[in-house]
Amino acid sequence: MVNFLIIIFIITLLYMAKNDVIKQYIFILAFQGLILFVVALLELKNIDIPHLLLILLETLFFKGVFVPIFLYRLAKRGKLRRNYKGLLSGNASIGMAILIVIVSFTIAHAFHDQQLQIKYFTAAMSAMAIGFYIAVNHKDIISHLISFLVIENGIFLLSLALGSEMPMFVNAAILLDIFTTVLIMGMFFNKVQQYFDEALVDKLTHLKD
Amino acid sequence: MVINFFIVSILLAGAAFLIKNRNVNHLLVMAHSLFTLYLTIYEFRHLGEIQAVYFRADSLSIIFLTVLSLVTFMSSLHYTSYTVRGEVPMSFVNIHNFSTILFNTAIVGVLLAAHFGVLWAMIELTTLTAAMLIQHDRNETSMEATWKYLFVCSIAITIAFAGVLFLGIATQEAQSFDFSFDSIKSVASILDPNWTKACFLFVLTGFSVKMGLVPMFNVDIDAKDVSPSPVGAKLSSILVNAGFVSIYRFYEVFSGTEIHQWMNRVIIITAIISLFFAAVYMLKVRNIKRLLAYSSMEHAALAMLAFASGGIGYFAAVFHLVLHSLIKSSIFFQIGQLHNVFGSKLDIDIKDYLKVNPVGGLVLLTGFCSIIALPPSGMFISEFLIFQSIFESHRFWLLALSFLLLLFIIYGMGSRLLTIIFNDDDTGHKPNTKNARIGESLVQLGVIVAVFYIGFFKPTFIVNMIQTAVQTLP
Repeated sequence: MVNFLIIIFIITLLYMAKNDVIKQYIFILAFQGLILFVVALLELKNIDIPHLLLILLETLFFKGVFVPIFLYRLAKRGKLRRNYKGLLSGNASIGMAILIVIVSFTIAHAFHDQQLQIKYFTAAMSAMAIGFYIAVNHKDIISHLISFLVIENGIFLLSLALGSEMPMFVNAAILLDIFTTVLIMGMFFNKVQQYFDEALVDKLTHLKD
Repeated sequence: MVINFFIVSILLAGAAFLIKNRNVNHLLVMAHSLFTLYLTIYEFRHLGEIQAVYFRADSLSIIFLTVLSLVTFMSSLHYTSYTVRGEVPMSFVNIHNFSTILFNTAIVGVLLAAHFGVLWAMIELTTLTAAMLIQHDRNETSMEATWKYLFVCSIAITIAFAGVLFLGIATQEAQSFDFSFDSIKSVASILDPNWTKACFLFVLTGFSVKMGLVPMFNVDIDAKDVSPSPVGAKLSSILVNAGFVSIYRFYEVFSGTEIHQWMNRVIIITAIISLFFAAVYMLKVRNIKRLLAYSSMEHAALAMLAFASGGIGYFAAVFHLVLHSLIKSSIFFQIGQLHNVFGSKLDIDIKDYLKVNPVGGLVLLTGFCSIIALPPSGMFISEFLIFQSIFESHRFWLLALSFLLLLFIIYGMGSRLLTIIFNDDDTGHKPNTKNARIGESLVQLGVIVAVFYIGFFKPTFIVNMIQTAVQTLP
């Protein structure tokens, strides 16, 4: 079951790399939050109640509901439907994402580590690298915000590689990170839109040497 | 005590956010700086004592806590004047002072943390609070800088967090599930070197954004440029120190393992590339605040070169960062004044500063002599020790390359600052001498003279503190 969910997660990453519709990005982020919740529930068997509640809060409520709604409102207010076309086209982006997954798997395999759960490591590294790819490939600020959340999902999966011994602070830290950063980034996103006609990185060129 | 400090800080920050009386608001920030100094003295008396499970002071914390108290106190004084001169709206002051108190508190947390998770969380908090400080002026450039800073720092801190997780995977193999420095250090020698290398690489990359080093340095430069000078001073001094301490904690834990030399090589690569970028940009940049920001990058890189060279280099790195913090913050404060006098940050608009504002000009001149490590400035001694350590590590190519890059840096710095100080042609902006504050300049001059004294006479107390701080390193 977990393997199946991880594969679905990786497929969502590939779709994200190709996608350019903001609504779909947001839907996929919510779906990833749900996947992460089920994976964590299945994997962390010896988990205590406070820890479980924290993960529930982090994945299902926060990643699955709160952040997508917040992003949807931001996009609606900014009248954003599609992100600006990236440097690489959709098919090339899928090719790039597949390459990232293969490289991540190869690296995970190369470690030959008993403790390391290859499936988590592959998915985590793929999510982080594809997150970076989305940030680099797209010029609009909302894509950057989404790429950050994809990277955070990768970090969550990486924390699952620590298994049921995962210290509670790891989850608390991820939660704090997303909560504060997304909120503050959201606030600044609105501000940036006030000062610049379009929320494009290309417009942010006032600072030069 | 640490918990009390955090509680009082949060209360003071809340009060700074709400109170509309300008003077009372500024006093809150000064009171917080003095409270930080009190905490420093308390921690000095309780060295090595674990507090609230996750915190403990060592000599390194005390050294940088002292610097933090001094710089934040001076910064609060200068910000008071900045708000009066610039007619800054009260709502801006509220947010600035609120963020300043939280920013300083987060730095205290970084310096006192004895647990990798807490250390990371505190660094994260510095990002959020620094972002609020950078957006102070709320115009196009400050919004741009804030957005970039927030985004790149968030990514960088996430990378550092991945490093902490790699450490978690490594310690799990050693059946250790505690992330405290002591616990990790006790099992460090049996950790899988592949994981510890990955951990260090990610942590160095992530925290490079705080030290202003390659690869994440660029947002740091923008932040120091657009923020008010008192904020730029803090970002160039105490935040650099916090970045250094964060990297130091990981380095110290792994220094007794087989990856020690590998870590040194990685640090040297990062530092020398940073020095190269600093040299290139300092030759071309016309904006004085950006010039100073690149200069901070240069000095952070020099400190890391010494650190990776080992031996006397450990001492030199810490000593250099302490002196740099004091000098750089003083110059930043003076640049704020210079900006007010000439209404520009560009070197072509500013001329004959020594004549226009003699005390301010003297600050800039002595600051320049210090920052390029001209004898008998204190930084001459620390840089001498840095190069001695590189020489003793037999990396002669590194020594030659560093000297070459420093030549370019000194030329870049000198050609800009000396033109500002001495050039008396009338092509610049018309100065408004009413904005020159002799009192402020005298405070800055006092700090620079103190650095001359510390560097040259090396007071035993300071030397002993730094030696104790680095004695755990091989």
